[in-house]
Amino acid sequence: MKKIDIKKLKEIVGEKNASDNSVDLYAYSRDASVHQAMPNAIVRPRTIEQVQKIMRYANNNKIPVIPRGAGSGTSGHSVPIDGGIVLDMKRMNRIIEIRPNDMLVRVEPGVVDDDLNRALKPYGLFYPPAPASSRIATIGGEIGANASGVRSVKYGATRDYVMGMKVVLADGKLVNLGSNTRVHSSGYQLERLIVGSEGTLGIVVEATMRIYPLPKYRCLGIANFDKLEDAGDTISEIIASGAQPSMLELMDGIGIVAVNKALNLGLREVGAIILFEADGNVKSAIDYEIKKMKEICEKHNGYAIELSYDAKERQKIFGGRKKLFASLSKYKEGIICTDLADDMGVPNSKVAEAAQKIHEIAEHNNVIMAVYGHCGSGVIHTKIMLDTNKKSQWKDAENVIEELYDYIHSIGGVVSAEHGIGLSKAPPWKKARKDVVPVMRAIKKALDPNNILNPHKLMDAPDNWVKATNLRYMVKT
Amino acid sequence: MKKSEKAIALKSAFKVNFKRSKKWENELNKCIRCGYCYELCPLYKTFNWESDTPRAKLLLIYGMIAGEIKPTREIAEKIFQCFYCENCSDNCSAGVPVTDIFTDARADLIDAGFDVEGTTTRVNEELCSTCGMCISVCKSEALTFIEDEIGIKKVAVDKAKCKGCGLCIATCPSNVLSQREGFEVSPTELEAQVTSFLKTNKDAKIVAFCCNWSVFPGLQLSESPTLISTSYGVIVTMCSGRVTPELVLHAFKEGAWGVMVSGCPPEECDHDGNYKSRRRMLMLKNLLKQLNIEPERVKLAWFSRGESIKLKQAIDEFDKEISKLGPIKFPSVINYW
Repeated sequence: MKKIDIKKLKEIVGEKNASDNSVDLYAYSRDASVHQAMPNAIVRPRTIEQVQKIMRYANNNKIPVIPRGAGSGTSGHSVPIDGGIVLDMKRMNRIIEIRPNDMLVRVEPGVVDDDLNRALKPYGLFYPPAPASSRIATIGGEIGANASGVRSVKYGATRDYVMGMKVVLADGKLVNLGSNTRVHSSGYQLERLIVGSEGTLGIVVEATMRIYPLPKYRCLGIANFDKLEDAGDTISEIIASGAQPSMLELMDGIGIVAVNKALNLGLREVGAIILFEADGNVKSAIDYEIKKMKEICEKHNGYAIELSYDAKERQKIFGGRKKLFASLSKYKEGIICTDLADDMGVPNSKVAEAAQKIHEIAEHNNVIMAVYGHCGSGVIHTKIMLDTNKKSQWKDAENVIEELYDYIHSIGGVVSAEHGIGLSKAPPWKKARKDVVPVMRAIKKALDPNNILNPHKLMDAPDNWVKATNLRYMVKT
Repeated sequence: MKKSEKAIALKSAFKVNFKRSKKWENELNKCIRCGYCYELCPLYKTFNWESDTPRAKLLLIYGMIAGEIKPTREIAEKIFQCFYCENCSDNCSAGVPVTDIFTDARADLIDAGFDVEGTTTRVNEELCSTCGMCISVCKSEALTFIEDEIGIKKVAVDKAKCKGCGLCIATCPSNVLSQREGFEVSPTELEAQVTSFLKTNKDAKIVAFCCNWSVFPGLQLSESPTLISTSYGVIVTMCSGRVTPELVLHAFKEGAWGVMVSGCPPEECDHDGNYKSRRRMLMLKNLLKQLNIEPERVKLAWFSRGESIKLKQAIDEFDKEISKLGPIKFPSVINYW
């Protein structure tokens, strides 16, 4: 790689918006994953033209460019494994227009999800696919990972909301993908190709997203279960029954203990809890859905079921779920929550079995794993909790990942449901999708022949995630 | 980098003993870098660089302890930039005591010979009358009298303890205390923000000075068409104790119809800045009466953490009251300002 001309980059974005200072390089060397690698420069563009100029410069000099949003990715998507330029997109943070009559919004990629929803609220509208990290997650990052969240069971994922986008390609050309109409049948759906591409195909510089009316009513229920498998069976049956939850969340006993310790929520420390929610504009219809789900909970030994239409009460319970990820490090002294094996997708009918199996695999490999997630959509979140100082525990983690994903594939599941592949999930994903990897490589080569856009991620990531980069922890013994 | 600083950096690579910071190693591992801390950080909101986020500062401390990076003046400067609002620590569900770690890292860096300013207070020793008023208002006990080698009394700042609240700066009768410009909270910068809001917004009527504790989380990171052109402008001053009568009068001079100063309720302010603010605003109201300006144009209100909805309601009510009064009819004496 050629030496980066920081002066040139400063000419493009202004003196204050480009840096090769070692403090900045170190700060941008990590995201929320276990990986770390140093970039050579950080650039913060504000306009499409600036992004084009940066890409032209990078392409001519074959310098890697890694777009980055909130840096909250869990698999190393924005960790610059080959160095290069990290493109911090958070300065492109304008909500360009809200068009209630067309039910769409045009945004720049650095707009924060919660900010967008705050801006839509006065119109009685909302942007539904909010991940748990919506308070910081940017729309650009959500597109890159095809993010979804707690309401994906009813509202789907980011891909279901993308109508069109402006993308700067590797050579600096600007292309308009998709449309501003709700449907279009005009050739390849390239806007959808960009969704989930993790910054490997182009830089999203503007997105047109579908929006929806805010429901008038929401009712949240919480049910306690002594056995995790009962909670899993409940979820499978709720989905199979045709009920229409707007949220169907599972949290196992480990997660409950952790959030209680971290947030003092006072949840019952049982085998598992389920959060179920229905929303809509007709209260009797919500009552019907909630009643149906409550009955299924009771059928599978759910008890102490509480229901609430009150927004504050809902927020209190839901807040615990949103902060569960970070809370897990509070579960046990000396054990650290690492972002590994974090978001597999399984068929709805397999939730109970998978939850049980995950605990089994964790136990015989000497690590702790919490099971939680938007299980109504088949999303199972786990984290591997281990003593990060010990070398042997990282070997344990490797074994868990291999065993776990082999099992997930055997039941027809997927490696990642909503966080993306990045670096740490690439080996099991490549193993399972051998047929798809060459197709993806062909597309990548056609759009980015010099391989400068977020190189060596996804299908091109190293085969050993532990050795892909330095680990961000001090491994001692 | 200056030669002497380079020497410190090289020397420190061998000699800095992070004895205080090292005890936080496990806590530093617990930080999963989810980023929920930076959403709440006033410094990040000012600069928007990752290196200004609490998680990045923890990472820099971690890097120094682990020996991955050498302590440098630039790193030390970042670690000394913090207003200790503690939004990060309070909202970290991994329970990482973020600001406690910063304080220990600061002390380690001071021991190693780093002398940086960050958000801490500086004293113009030549003009300081050593009246001691700053020492009496500092709740962090960061200011003390010392005697230099020839026995001259001076005010010294303990930079590990200084939380950058700015109360001493607003209290100093000789204006010899200051904080470096660039953090948007110095008297000049606050005045510039007031002017900018009142001159660029034709509907502007009210300037609301809010402390960082009571206004959060009303602030956001994105720019939105629904959030511009309000009749009020929220200006975050960190502690309400920074709001001087001069700043309020500046807002009136620039065309504000009313000024609201909000701070933490009595007993809740970390710095006791609210008491100072209460006293100052009372005196200012008396002064306004003498100038034939309605004292109701200044409103002091208290809000606890997270009461941003109550704050918004209070601004709306104040807006109604102020709209009845209309713009200020300045007496001729004001032209001398």
